[in-house]
This record gives sequence, structure tokens and C-alpha cells, in this order.
Amino acid sequence: MATQRTPRSDKELWRSLASQSVVAPAAVSDMDLAAWLEGRLSEDAAAPVEAAVAADPTLRRAAIDLADVLAKPLPAEPQRMVVRARALVGFETGRKVTSGGLFGRWLSGRGLFGGPRQAFQKSIMAVAALVIASGGFVVGGGLGESLAQREGYSVVETASTATGSNEVTEFFAGDGI
Amino acid sequence: MGVAELNQIDLQALARGDKRTWDAFVAAAAPLINAVVRRTLSSYRLGEDDVMDAAHDVFVRLCAQDFRLLRTYDPARAGLPTWLAVVSRSCAIDLLRRRRQATEPIDDVPEAFLGVEDRHVEKLRIPEGLLTARQILILRYLYNEERDVIEIAQLLSVDAQTIRSTHHKALLRLRAHFREEDPAGGG
Repeated sequence: MATQRTPRSDKELWRSLASQSVVAPAAVSDMDLAAWLEGRLSEDAAAPVEAAVAADPTLRRAAIDLADVLAKPLPAEPQRMVVRARALVGFETGRKVTSGGLFGRWLSGRGLFGGPRQAFQKSIMAVAALVIASGGFVVGGGLGESLAQREGYSVVETASTATGSNEVTEFFAGDGI
Repeated sequence: MGVAELNQIDLQALARGDKRTWDAFVAAAAPLINAVVRRTLSSYRLGEDDVMDAAHDVFVRLCAQDFRLLRTYDPARAGLPTWLAVVSRSCAIDLLRRRRQATEPIDDVPEAFLGVEDRHVEKLRIPEGLLTARQILILRYLYNEERDVIEIAQLLSVDAQTIRSTHHKALLRLRAHFREEDPAGGG
């Protein structure tokens, strides 16, 4: 007696089968997946990627999502995303850019003397600082004196101040203080 | 700036850490990275800060260890936007895993993550070589994922008719192998 089999739909047939391979497919690198998404792989090269994608539901969804995102116009990104990302690179390079001049190179302690002679450079800087400080002191004092001598009124003012001072002294002396 | 400008980026200057090139790269790549990360995290109810963190992770990963990851990119194999999209998705998934380490209400977990295949049902194993990897992939997309033919065609860069044809040939092989009767009576 022949048994009558109910024909199954394509979907039922597929679900009744174990399509999973006994051997787990090899992991797919980002580069391989990208090449596959762009259809750049030959049939042979694509086969392991397709086997891996077929075997992994997460990868299957990833492939569909990525193809969809890449095919559509992209929404604008938040500006702070760009600001944060740009800050990741630049300190070293920025220093190179700002230290282009002779003074900048001297300040950064490199390049001016043609080598990393830092101790020598530091001593030069210390001497330079000393010269600037003492020079400023001398120049400031000298200028004051010469100015006073040239104007002449400073002496008179000093004299009148002295007079005022004497008057105050006499006032207090008169009160017995 | 946008995805098209990504292909104009001087990769050697970028890998050297040139500031101007990096800034141009960030401006060109940010919309794509933003879109991929958002799409990846969209079904997990994560906030805007998480999206920002995931996108930032992508940039950090690209320039970390003297641009090690960026140096692995091979322009001969794939376009920079596609590779960057794949890397961005990986970063977003990693962030998701880190966030999910703490206890999480079961209602917040998407069903796809909770679904467990019933392994107790004895299934007929498809012999190796009966179907090609592409045929299995298409059948999985159609029947496991319940995707549309158009979506699969877009993914595989072929027309929809090719997908239908591949699907049809795969089922013919399966039915022939397992001696199933064709429900349509011949197709």
C-alpha cells in the first residue's frame, strides 16, 4: 500500500532540512566582507564568505544593513562627533606646524643647533634670561636717573615735598605729639 | 564633504598622522560612521550618547597604535567607504557587548537575541556540495530571515530575476535529492 505524501511548500521543505554544515565556516575578516559586499570577489573567493554569512544570522543581518546604508543618502552627522574625532589626532603635528619659525624652533629646543643638545640649549637659555633680567634692571634705573636730570622739576618737587614734610612735623610738634 | 570625498583621501598622509588629512578624513567619514552606528544600535534602545561613543570608538580604533587598523585597509580589494562601514558596524557591536555586560531587563533584549533554535528536532542534513554557498545564502535570506527578493538582489549586486532563478534551481536540487514531490506539480 502506497502512502500518500502531502506535498510541502518550499519554505517547509527548507525548514525540515539542516542546512548547517558540520564544519563551522572560517571567520570572515572586515576586508573580505567589504570586498564581498562590493561584489569584487571571484566565485571561488566569494564562496567561503557566503558560507560564513549564510551560517551566521548576525552576519546576515549585518550584510543587509550595510548594503542598505551604503545605497542610500546619508543623514548629517552631529557636529560634536566631528569635533571629538578631530581632537584625536593633531597634538604632535600641530606642534610641528606652530614651531616653524626660528624663535619657535629655539623655544621648542630642537633644530636650531642641529641636534638634540638639550643641556647646552638650556644653559644658553638660562644665560639669555639672566642677560635680559639684568639688562632690564640697568636700563630701567639709568633711564629714571637721566630723565630726572633732564627734566629738572623732580628736584623742585622733592624739595617742596620736603618742605611739606617739615610743616607736618612742626604741626605735630606744636601739639606736643 | 561626504562618502565620495573619502576616496580622495591621501591614505599615506593619513597613516603618517598628518593633521590636515585626518581632519578631512573625519569630515568625510563622519556621516557614514554615524549612519552605520545608528543603524546597528537602532534596535537596542540606546541613547544619543551611546551612538556618539560608538562613533568615537570607530575613530579611536582607526588611529590607535599608530593607525594600525587603517594600515590594514587595502584599496585594491574594496572601497574605503565599504570597508569603513564594516569596521563601524564591528565597533558598534563591540560597544553593545560592553554595555550588555551588566544585568539587563529581559524586555529590553530584542527577540532575535533570545530566540533559540530547537535542536531537538531531527533534521535531514543536506549533503556537502549539493547546494552552492550562494544558493544556501539565498534560501536562508528568503526563509530564515524572510527577506524580500529585491533586498537580496541589492545585497548581492544582481537583479531580482537572478535571485529567483537561483532559488528555483536550489529547490529543484533539494527536491530531486530528497525525492520530494513538487507542490506546484513541476516547478
